[in-house]
Amino acid sequence: MEPIVIEHLSKKYGQFVAVNDLSLTVELGVCVGYLGPNGAGKTTTIKVMTNLLRASSGKAYLNGVDVIHHPKAALDGVGAVVETPEFYPQLTPAECLSYVGTIRGMSGEAIAERSHAVLEQVKLLEVADKRTGQFSKGMKQRLAIAQALLHEPSILILDEPTAGLDPRGMVEVREIIKGLIKTDITILMSSHLLYEVQEVCDKVAIIDRGRLLTYDSVANLSSGHDITVTINTLEPITPPEFRAIKALHDITSVKRSETLALKVSFSGGPEAQFRVLRGILNTGVKVVSYTPQRAAIEDVYLHLVPEGEA
Amino acid sequence: MAPNSVRQIATVAKYELLKYLRGRRLLAIVLLTIIVSAIFLIVPPAIGSQYPKDPTQFTLNVLSFLGILSILSATFFGADAIVSEYESKTGYFLFPNPIRKTAIFVGKFIASALVSVGAIALYYVIAVVSVRVIDGSIPANTGLSFAYSLVYLFAILAIAYLFSAIMRSSVYSLVLTFFTFFLILPIIDAVGSVAKFKPWFSITFANGISQYIFQNPYPTDKIFTTAAPGASGVGVQTYSLAQYYPDVRLSLIVMAVYFIVAFVLSIFLAQRREM
Repeated sequence: MEPIVIEHLSKKYGQFVAVNDLSLTVELGVCVGYLGPNGAGKTTTIKVMTNLLRASSGKAYLNGVDVIHHPKAALDGVGAVVETPEFYPQLTPAECLSYVGTIRGMSGEAIAERSHAVLEQVKLLEVADKRTGQFSKGMKQRLAIAQALLHEPSILILDEPTAGLDPRGMVEVREIIKGLIKTDITILMSSHLLYEVQEVCDKVAIIDRGRLLTYDSVANLSSGHDITVTINTLEPITPPEFRAIKALHDITSVKRSETLALKVSFSGGPEAQFRVLRGILNTGVKVVSYTPQRAAIEDVYLHLVPEGEA
Repeated sequence: MAPNSVRQIATVAKYELLKYLRGRRLLAIVLLTIIVSAIFLIVPPAIGSQYPKDPTQFTLNVLSFLGILSILSATFFGADAIVSEYESKTGYFLFPNPIRKTAIFVGKFIASALVSVGAIALYYVIAVVSVRVIDGSIPANTGLSFAYSLVYLFAILAIAYLFSAIMRSSVYSLVLTFFTFFLILPIIDAVGSVAKFKPWFSITFANGISQYIFQNPYPTDKIFTTAAPGASGVGVQTYSLAQYYPDVRLSLIVMAVYFIVAFVLSIFLAQRREM
């Protein structure tokens, strides 16, 4: 049984179709990055799957249970962070977790034990007994992640989980998600940060105008698209060196961007990236840095999503 | 596995009560109740006048704030109970859990009802203790009056929840609730006196039973006729004004119908509402 199954799901607001006949199946233990431009239907899909919106048509199953008709049963093993939730300002993080833990039928002991663990995980243990009224957006986002993890869900649905976090917070949340991936948890994570998705997720689903454009592994999607790297050198590149680089096997184009910088494009994956670096070093060029210009997945995304929509 | 809905309702009610206990609104209602009661108890001796000799009249004087207290309770604890979950985005925390929205609604309503009943009960306790201390007696039908005021409270609380389930803004819901019971319906009640129709269907009119039940015998409808000079000073023009009193049984039915219809409708709307 696949943990997340979406079949011909549609959501309409009057004439506007937010999600259009969307079908997607997420396999057990896979982390899926859910990508698309603003208004593509990512959050709408997630809201339907978490009982915040009613579907106009179609089905969605979580752990085999129809979430549209039996949301209580379907959401039992699911943890979710949708947008940046607000918390009741009169309650503390410990009380918020106790609230949802009790709703989920956890025992007092289990709530206390897990609350300590998840609050430590999201680095909110020190403020566990402070009321959430004065919390920053980042702290609320961490607490949202904590409540989603409290009951050790088998499915985690995250809507832009690093939104509102500072750079350190983003790295920490990514590390938490990476840690979860080592277990058999299934994750559906929407994000605008393509690097983040490439770093964390096994597979990527890209939607636009409510329709699924592609769904495949990050490796499969990345292959077949050129990688562009920026090479910074210690000394200006001589014409013979430039010609030698251009003649390397995988190279498709070389452009001199500045006196001490080159933009080199080549086809292939990480192995080609390694070969190109070795080849450039063999030409005698003194390489200071070798940086991919953007994530491979970014090329796929830009190729699939028309200009002006992202 | 998620527990049954009854346990979940109790959980929601518990945390809603905790929010009220730590919030300012409950404190405001309690302070207002004490201050208003104190005014009725302190001012007469302070200005050299005496308390009414009739214990029933004395109780009625102290309880004259009852209608407004009920309206304030419904407004504070009901008018934004649902809409605030959407407006302030706390629904994103609560709704994606294995719990029916009906259970959330009922849990919230129970908490609202408990704090509102607490405020009304405090007011009655102050009134009863005061009249007992000062006069040594307790007016007949005090218990009935309390029971009727609770029926009114539940009915307007359910209507407040209905507004809360419909409105998009907490402020609009709060304003609509307060002015519906404080201004709009009382105006309709007053027009009834002039236009000579009995507003038996009005919930604020029906609430009169919690005060009139103290009178013995229970008052009956009256028509007053007064004479005044004609338009051009010639002749005499007569005017009549009606004084209507709510029928106890009919008023209880009216309030019960308001409660049931508003409660069921608001559950239905809250369940269908999308985030």
